[in-house]
Amino acid sequence: MAVVKVDKLARSVVEGPSLMTGSIPTRDWMDIPVVFKPGNYAYPTKPNILEYLDSLEGVSFPNAREWNPEDDDWKLPENWKEIIINGLAERLGKFRSLKIFMDCCVRCGACADKCHFFLGTGDPKNMPVLRAELLRSVYRQEFTKAGKILGRMAGAREMTVGVLKEWFMYAYQCTECRRCSVFCPYGIDTAEITMMLRELLHLVGCGINWALEPVANSNRTGNHMGLTPQAFKGNIDFLCEDIENLTGIHIEPSFNRKGAEVLFITPSADVFAEPGLFTCMGYLLLFEAIGLDYTWSTYASEGGNFGLFTSNEMMKKLNGKMYAEAKRLGVKWILGGECGHMWRVVHQYMDTMNGPADFLEVPKSPITGTVFENARSTKMVHISEFTADLIYHNKIKLDKSRNSHVKATFHDSCNPARAMGLLEEPRYILDHVVDNWVEMPANTIREQTFCCGSGTALNTDEIMELRMRSGLPRANAVRYVADKHAVNTLACVCAIDRATLTTLMQYWNPDVEVCGVSELVGNALVIEGEKRADLTEGLRTMVF
Amino acid sequence: MVTDLKETLQSNKKKILSLWVDRTLNSYIASGFFKSSGDRFANPVGVNIREGLTRLFDLMLAGADPKEMLAPLDQVIRIRAVQEFSPSQAVAPILELKWVIRQVLGSGRNKRPPAEELDNFDCDVDRLALLAFDLYTECRELLYKNRVHEIKSGRYILTDSACASALAGNKKTGCAGVETS
Ligand code: SF4
Ligand code: SF4
Repeated sequence: MAVVKVDKLARSVVEGPSLMTGSIPTRDWMDIPVVFKPGNYAYPTKPNILEYLDSLEGVSFPNAREWNPEDDDWKLPENWKEIIINGLAERLGKFRSLKIFMDCCVRCGACADKCHFFLGTGDPKNMPVLRAELLRSVYRQEFTKAGKILGRMAGAREMTVGVLKEWFMYAYQCTECRRCSVFCPYGIDTAEITMMLRELLHLVGCGINWALEPVANSNRTGNHMGLTPQAFKGNIDFLCEDIENLTGIHIEPSFNRKGAEVLFITPSADVFAEPGLFTCMGYLLLFEAIGLDYTWSTYASEGGNFGLFTSNEMMKKLNGKMYAEAKRLGVKWILGGECGHMWRVVHQYMDTMNGPADFLEVPKSPITGTVFENARSTKMVHISEFTADLIYHNKIKLDKSRNSHVKATFHDSCNPARAMGLLEEPRYILDHVVDNWVEMPANTIREQTFCCGSGTALNTDEIMELRMRSGLPRANAVRYVADKHAVNTLACVCAIDRATLTTLMQYWNPDVEVCGVSELVGNALVIEGEKRADLTEGLRTMVF
Repeated sequence: MVTDLKETLQSNKKKILSLWVDRTLNSYIASGFFKSSGDRFANPVGVNIREGLTRLFDLMLAGADPKEMLAPLDQVIRIRAVQEFSPSQAVAPILELKWVIRQVLGSGRNKRPPAEELDNFDCDVDRLALLAFDLYTECRELLYKNRVHEIKSGRYILTDSACASALAGNKKTGCAGVETS
């Protein structure tokens, strides 16, 4: 039946409709083992990180050990297979979507050539349909009659160490960007299948450090970097000094202030690393310009939530921290900065995990009076929604000529675009802060946007080549507008993007800089009492 | 004469390019899609490689300056420098042009051109291959520079200096700052 068609599909996508070259792979995809070598895998989690996480309440990260993906022996627990199969059974019972995704794929192939990992590598196992098949084949074997009886003929296979290794390879060559799901007639979300693969791998202690160390740090000190409250505050104070030097505007932000109207949360990368720093300066200037009654928190000092890339329980725990802090401080609502996956968690999972946040008020802009009905339940408003509303009501003064050095294009970050539908607001802001910006080609933006290639904790340097090839579809579209329209700036609304697109551009399009939309707002803002130097590069200008 | 060879190459351009592009794209497991989709945004590997090789062939026939070849060569090599090829595999397609030309000119009604004419063209191909090797090395160096740049610009510095637990070296805290070596 339909099931058998999957290797035909693999072949026909691999070979193209005409089967033109005759170089049909001699082996079926199931028979091609994965080979780990330096550069094609991210480093495993350090045992002390796993031990720490496993000691926390409500989450489980067992089987900490030193192991190396390049070794034959992964030092798996003796009953690893039982753990995996039981883990899968548990998840099939818990998540209805998983069961549906396992059963309803018709192998139409619509998703096959839509993944940036496939497009950059040409590896058939990076076709979303085959990525899912890595799990589905085991599901069939263990949980369907046809699979049990017919085995491989029904697309089923035994769970072996080889299969487990394959999972580790391909669950970490998926950025959970959900581009494939846009094209699937059944709405199968391969990102959620990847999430399940990663959860199952964690059961036997196989995860990557770049995901779990930030998770551990976030849980412990509040942010990915493990920055202490003093360091966090210190960095923001530095930024305020810079702002004063550049614009003459003196800002004294408050921290952990009880009774503030709004709690502001952004990815910690905005506070400590270029080019996010400039985006952060943009926020600070904007809030000063409108006199917002807000506070930073040194406890909820991270918008990012690498729990999303780790496990359901971990995501819940880290998300809960933001709301716990909002409650403790007694604010009315939360304003969120330019982050990608924080918004996916808030928009798609928060309500059922930790919501509804009844102790907060429905967000209402104190400046325009606009009630953000879309955030009625989560009580959290995106900075772009907030800023666009200010512009719409003419509450801030903007001078586009202050961005005359910028010729921009806009990258829709996967999560805001596909998971929360934030498509128009950043564009509306760009229309008002820069003279000149152009769209990239239609099949690379909005819902069809191409991922930066480094999301879901794949933004680590040991897999640099992999990141460069998976980011190629994005970079290729940027190259087009850079050549055609002399674009020199790639604007976005995600902190991972700001960091990883910078590296991606350095490789593919070295003349293009990356910035947050709020940086461009900060550049253009005209504030009463300012004593602005001639800032030829906006907030990036070096003044001495 | 060389000009005659170039005329022959010109009249066989379609066949030569088709074989050259095919062979190059055959180095990917999923070559079918890379060959068939002509949408430059949906299929960046296939389209860029096809376009790069086509432009290179035209420039070689036109006897262009090596400097002009850099851009189309970059279109091909920059991609292959980050894919799972060895250095030799990454630049091999350039050298394969020699084989492709002999293959095409040796078939059908084509008369095999005199050896010395081919020798001259082969020299051009060799020069191009050396240029490709330079470019490949440049790309790889850039990758390593970018790695270092990323490590320097953030995380590492902060986890090592600002994290109190890291300084205390407390294993249970989960801060691995002290362990980065
Ligand atoms: S979610 Fe994104 S990265 Fe994962 S398979 Fe789909 S398109 Fe590829
Ligand atoms: S588009 Fe959907 S139904 Fe079609 S092969 Fe992909 S996952 Fe299966």
